Amino acid sequence: MNMDGTNFLGSSVKEPSTNGTSLFDGILRVMYDSIAEVNLQLPENQRMGKSPDTILLGDGGKLDSLGLVNFIVITEQKLEEFLGVRIDLTENDPFSPTTGHFRTVQSLATYICELAENRPGRELA
Amino acid sequence: MTASNTERKALKLYLISDFNLETMGNYFVNGNSSLQMSVSSAPFGQVFPALLQTSDSPLADFAVVWTSPEIIVPSFAESLNHAAIDEDRLLSEVHEFAECLRKAQKHFRAIFVMSWTLPYYRRGNGILSLKGQGSRKLLLKMNLKLAEELEDCESIYLLDAQRWLEAVGKNSYSPKLWYMTKARFHADVFRRAAREVEAAISAVLEGSRKLVIVDLDNTLWGGVVGDLGWQNLKLGGHDYLGEAFVDFQKALKSLRNRGVLLAIASKNEESVALEALSKHPEMVLRPEDFAAWRINWNDKAANIVELAAELNLGLQSAVFIDDNPVERARVREALPEVHVPDWPEDKTLFASRFLELDCFDSPYPTAEDAARNQLYADERQRARSRKTVNSAEEWLLSLDTECTVEELSDANRVRVVQLLNKTNQMNLTTRRVSEHELQRWLGQDSRKLWAFRVKDKFGDSGLTGILSLEMKSGMACIIDFVLSCRVFGRKVEDAMVAFAAEYCTAAGLGELRANYIPTAKNKPCFSFWMSSGFSYNEKENRFRWPLSKAYPFPVGVKIHRSATATGDILHSQPQRSPHAEGAALPVFTNSD
Repeated sequence: MNMDGTNFLGSSVKEPSTNGTSLFDGILRVMYDSIAEVNLQLPENQRMGKSPDTILLGDGGKLDSLGLVNFIVITEQKLEEFLGVRIDLTENDPFSPTTGHFRTVQSLATYICELAENRPGRELA
Repeated sequence: MTASNTERKALKLYLISDFNLETMGNYFVNGNSSLQMSVSSAPFGQVFPALLQTSDSPLADFAVVWTSPEIIVPSFAESLNHAAIDEDRLLSEVHEFAECLRKAQKHFRAIFVMSWTLPYYRRGNGILSLKGQGSRKLLLKMNLKLAEELEDCESIYLLDAQRWLEAVGKNSYSPKLWYMTKARFHADVFRRAAREVEAAISAVLEGSRKLVIVDLDNTLWGGVVGDLGWQNLKLGGHDYLGEAFVDFQKALKSLRNRGVLLAIASKNEESVALEALSKHPEMVLRPEDFAAWRINWNDKAANIVELAAELNLGLQSAVFIDDNPVERARVREALPEVHVPDWPEDKTLFASRFLELDCFDSPYPTAEDAARNQLYADERQRARSRKTVNSAEEWLLSLDTECTVEELSDANRVRVVQLLNKTNQMNLTTRRVSEHELQRWLGQDSRKLWAFRVKDKFGDSGLTGILSLEMKSGMACIIDFVLSCRVFGRKVEDAMVAFAAEYCTAAGLGELRANYIPTAKNKPCFSFWMSSGFSYNEKENRFRWPLSKAYPFPVGVKIHRSATATGDILHSQPQRSPHAEGAALPVFTNSD
């Protein structure tokens, strides 16, 4: 990407199409799509709900460590399609007790929102 | 293992890999497959020890072996580091891996081995990667060598992993997944691989679909022939949609060449539709390409039932393709056994959607499969001849049926195992076995197995019957009594019983028994045995015949030893049927 935010063809890096809804709602939709994909790997009685309160990591969560990493990778990929930039969700170790934003869908969406709005080191998709 | 056991128990799947395959295992267990599976894994990275286990008992029903080329073939790892390597050594390392797979065959009914791949970002030496010792060129050689080494292993299937990677695209390899979980691929690759392995297992267990029933208007061609006339249909020409319909017809025709039958279920005037099929200059499929059709204004589900019955196929053999979602929903609801794939609205996707269907995968390419269309043409002629004679007995006599009896050999083993594993209706015990299990079972002198080839004046039905016996304590028990519905009802079943009785009498045995194991589908076999003249013990589900009495060969069926034996006609004299007089011939309504 060029310094002015355009790519080598001179086009602007695309802004997320939020269809009039907030960036946060758009990110929530992306995460729900990821939940639907990860649910295919889970037994029926352990599938995650599409809700901001769904627990991703810690007590009450349905995902083991492999499931969470699969969820992260799928979400990063979908965010790249949605935002047009790649966002690294594992810059901080998601399994560290000090990394609190993986606790629920809502806390992770909030974290992604912050990253998306303040993306100083953003790279082209 | 019996089918009833298979139906009750989860299939055991064993995963062997040098990377983390747990995500794939989760798809097997929790996905939407109709197969019930339990999955276990070899210790991580222990590929060779897992393949070389010395246990005599089977480890699981099926195994998946998915490895990294740079780990299994050390010379390839060196080449990735741009070191000059000895290619003979590289290929001998592939050979060693293939030998281990070969040895592991005894532990499983089938082994699915994934071909080797590299991530797209491994450019190797760039523009030279397909020259000299370029990494892509070496990888092609390694996969080819592996395929050739495994060519004669009938229970090992090499699956093309590159297809799943291409479908997923640049995300197929995720460095993040590798560093954090040691999974080599994205979950979507594992999902596609699991789906393909499930389809392969279904093909091994149940055989593949054998009949495609297609709609006409806006499915086989663009437009409504009754409104437009055949001259104005969108088909071929300098038109992108016309070309798409031609390609879809070509895809159907290619499947016909593999032995899958084509049929039509269309709401149309029959004469108008057939005129279009006959006269349109760019029509790829002509009336003679279809085994049967129902072109009328009746309910399509009812028409499909009729088509399957006419072709002696079960509904579980059928696939229905229609552009109309209402018709698809109707057939799905009324006939859940029929596979009704989702169909794209975009007509340019018809051919590609059809070509990616996995329900036609067959684990055993046999001459009978390729000749199936001819077999059905023979059957149509046979059925027509039936209308010209007065009685069923007279008709059977007019067929000049001949059975050739063979022992198990390299030449017929594939077909015998195929028939044994996919026949449902005329199957006494529904025993399902792999080639290795069958060979092992036949390792005792007290056990015998014969295959029956059947032909008549209308054509050769091929290897369609299996009879096996176990002899002990002065009596013999029929273990397998299997007959394809292609020939069921033509007294071949009587001839098989008579052959068994004659053999046992010559062996000095006193009694012949048949223990019937009921399944959801083998009632026709029970009906046959109930009319066989054997005494029946309901409590034990056992049929018995005292060999002090000769069991008569059926009228009009000749039995020969195969050419590898004496070639003598064992029995060709018309005999009285042991069936009760006036007993109806067995009715077969679906296929095996």
